[in-house]
Amino acid sequence: MARTFSQGDRGPIRSSFSDDPDMLELVQEFVENLPGRVAQLKTAYDSNDRVSLTRLSHQLKGASGGYGFDGVGAAAGRVEASLLALPADSDVASLKRELNELVAMCQRVCV
Amino acid sequence: MSELTAPNETETRHVVLVIDDSNDVHRLLQARLKQEQLQLEAATDGAEGIERVIELMPSLVLLDLDMPTMDGFEVLRHLKESSVTHDIPVVVLSGLQSPADKVTAFDLGAVDYITKPFDLMELRVRLRSALRMADLVTMLAQRAHIDGLTGLYNRAAFDQRWQQVTSENDRHGKPLCVGVFDLDHFKSINDTYGHPAGDEALRVFGALIQRECRSCDIACRFGGEEFVLIMPETVPEDADVVCNRIREKLAELEWPAHPERSVTVSVGVAGSAGRSDVSPEAWIEAADQALYRAKKGGRNRVVIEALPSGDGSALKQAG
Repeated sequence: MARTFSQGDRGPIRSSFSDDPDMLELVQEFVENLPGRVAQLKTAYDSNDRVSLTRLSHQLKGASGGYGFDGVGAAAGRVEASLLALPADSDVASLKRELNELVAMCQRVCV
Repeated sequence: MSELTAPNETETRHVVLVIDDSNDVHRLLQARLKQEQLQLEAATDGAEGIERVIELMPSLVLLDLDMPTMDGFEVLRHLKESSVTHDIPVVVLSGLQSPADKVTAFDLGAVDYITKPFDLMELRVRLRSALRMADLVTMLAQRAHIDGLTGLYNRAAFDQRWQQVTSENDRHGKPLCVGVFDLDHFKSINDTYGHPAGDEALRVFGALIQRECRSCDIACRFGGEEFVLIMPETVPEDADVVCNRIREKLAELEWPAHPERSVTVSVGVAGSAGRSDVSPEAWIEAADQALYRAKKGGRNRVVIEALPSGDGSALKQAG
């Protein structure tokens, strides 16, 4: 976990199940689908679609840990928590930093 | 027959219903629990989850808490409030980690709480433990309806089934018969050959009545040396055939503990070819009267008491 918080770290993030043959196929599928999820997150952010953004970050939070990417799950959890703490009439633009962190982390994920 | 059909067969695969809004979780669990001999079923929101619990009646529910629209707490509350789903164990599988959430889940009736992301071994052992406990509870509930000596349904189970069967007769007017079986001179078998011989006679007759009756019949040990056979959708003439077959098979048996002495049974049957207005209690009383006549008439015989069917109401008062 500490590694993912490190500012300077831009290295690949691997699944903690990467040596589990039972999980390999599932992890691969998750990694392949991740760019699509990131695109959906960005679209929701750009269109200030708070409902979709909450749902997407919630799902990513739940799923990432299961595939062995706890750091991604924690970053998605921070986006979700900030969204839930956001006053009803506020713009999602204030989440820029949390979202960028999550996106950056997703881009480093590999099998 | 519903809950009373299979007193001893629970070797089938457990059905586990997973209620979670994340398809990832469903796929992960399928992969992770592949070796557990479970039939995993999926529901992706709370309302669908409740519907599927009622449809599947699973051995166990794995429930997510943090779901949109209807959250897991509400699902849990719903399941525990309904008499149909109340006894199905629920294990919470949640990303919510606060002690308050855990306390709430247990207060609502969850049997265990696993946090996501789950550790594989922990998930497996917790599931096994919950299923083991569920099996024990089911077994105890069944034992409460089973006679220890013969393995037949006991008096309590008979009372419950008899109420149901007679009320069905009352509603649909289908034929119904009940036979009361009493082993002849049972006290003398006990006195002459000892209680183990008496118990053996009861055990053997219990197995025989179960084997010789039809699959729709319900055999019970009423108490002591008295047994009851409920014969649904059976007219008195057919009940006569069934009961005489049982009686004859018993009389033919040879007994290693007392080869010089056979064991016989007297049977009183009360039955109706259609709707009978007789109360459940009066029905048994009529069978007892027939049994009394069978004993009086020399034992080892079947006596049939045909109850008035249609709108006859003479015996209703008697109950």
